[in-house]
Amino acid sequence: MTNLPPPGDHPPSSTTDTQADPAVTPTNPAGDAITDPTGSADPVIDTTNDRLDDGINRCPKCGSTDIQLRASAGMLVCLFCRHQWAEARLDETIENGDLTTLTGTTIGSGAADIDASVDVLTTMKCAGCGAEVVVNTAENMSARCHWCRHVLTVNEQIPNGAVPDAVLPFKITHEDAVSRIEKFAGKRRLFADRAFVSEFTPQNIVGVYMPYMVVDSNASADIAGQGEIQTRKYTRGSGDDEETVYDADRYDVRRHVDFTVDDLTVESSAERANFDSSANTNNIINTILPFDTENAVKWNASYLTGYTSEKRDQDVAHLVPVVEDQLLSIARSQVESSVKQYDRGVRWEREHLDVHGTRWLSMYLPVWLYSYYHESGGKGMVHYIAVNGRTGEVMGSVPVSHKRLLAAAVSVGGVIDAGVIALMVATS
Amino acid sequence: MMAAMIAELGSVFSFAIFAASDDGGASPWLLLAGPAGGGGVYFLSWRYYRNTHKSHAFERETRVEAQSITGDEHKIKSITGTKKSGIDGANQTDHRRRVQRLP
Repeated sequence: MTNLPPPGDHPPSSTTDTQADPAVTPTNPAGDAITDPTGSADPVIDTTNDRLDDGINRCPKCGSTDIQLRASAGMLVCLFCRHQWAEARLDETIENGDLTTLTGTTIGSGAADIDASVDVLTTMKCAGCGAEVVVNTAENMSARCHWCRHVLTVNEQIPNGAVPDAVLPFKITHEDAVSRIEKFAGKRRLFADRAFVSEFTPQNIVGVYMPYMVVDSNASADIAGQGEIQTRKYTRGSGDDEETVYDADRYDVRRHVDFTVDDLTVESSAERANFDSSANTNNIINTILPFDTENAVKWNASYLTGYTSEKRDQDVAHLVPVVEDQLLSIARSQVESSVKQYDRGVRWEREHLDVHGTRWLSMYLPVWLYSYYHESGGKGMVHYIAVNGRTGEVMGSVPVSHKRLLAAAVSVGGVIDAGVIALMVATS
Repeated sequence: MMAAMIAELGSVFSFAIFAASDDGGASPWLLLAGPAGGGGVYFLSWRYYRNTHKSHAFERETRVEAQSITGDEHKIKSITGTKKSGIDGANQTDHRRRVQRLP
């Protein structure tokens, strides 16, 4: 055990430290430059997929532009010649290093601050015929040229949050996801809202790439409070006045932990990060985390063909409080095992976090989503059943028939009271 | 869900029988077990369907590597004859309940 510095004696958090990070190497193993295009002191990892330009993304074998993801294989497949390939894993192309040496704030070029003046509409010149094609990046990352039928894809990291650092392709197929949702809802038929049961069509699920920030952290935390150890338990009084009482010793307790966190995943859409369960069911989508983010690949818009996506609208600065809150929770979880001797419990009263370094990458992560709009008492809510597009984990919210549930509760209560009455009669 | 309902019923019946045998005769307040059991069934079933309490367990499901935990403790007082079975406000397992944040 070592003595901790007194509360308030800690250096300020370095999360927003604007000092350049001397530990960051200027190049990564793949030779991608770590540059500073924003002019700020925070280093930026360039995750641009140099192999791709805006516009036509051709099959490397036959040159066709009809490319989409084959989820069962996790590969891109050319719909013309059936050639399959995959983009490189992001982890293999950037400097990961030892997280205990991570300092300052490092961000991926796809996680750069969103420029509000950048239009979501992107105009691309078709390399096939020269026509100009407009893509609404709020909804799509590709469009088919209406003249020559080439598929044009947005691959440049425009500063509107539409193109992330990496994408984790779907692995769970549509059929598999439908089956999992049917099984989940099937276990919840009895008290489900009747309209939900009759209108339930899981075949209508949509594959959505949701925007997240994936954060590596190097942090320390100090936690202080009081704990109690029982020294004696005994009874006093007699008869109806008999009571159990305790003797205990109370201690001031302090703990310090240094820790690193790899791939902490937080929502980077403000709407999805709102977990007010009285107004939405976003917690359902949050529950199916985590994803195997270490397998995310470099951006290629063709991974999104046939799926929808939601654009990121939160910058790193918006998400710092969320990440720090989660880091404190992780620290509290880590020190729990060190206070087991306080058998009467510990009341933590003060906590302090030092974030030595963070690394932020924006990613699109795959979610199969069944949504059902339900109104109850004049209040509408969208209920989600979500399937993790990689692990298959399912969670959902099924609207309840309050009449059926109330009838069941009253029946159970009646049965219990009938038993109680029988007991009273038998013992009187 | 049926398992939860059966467990709920079992616990309520055990409670009723225990209370009856304790007095040597059943008390009318045992009739409150019915509404309590019904309420429990309603609440547990509603939660099973809606899952409003669920969220990503990032504390356990994220890769965390922690160095050895350090710290200190010193006794500040002895408590004698308290009827409380634990410390007030125990929160060592409630990792997400924030306390005073020191700068």
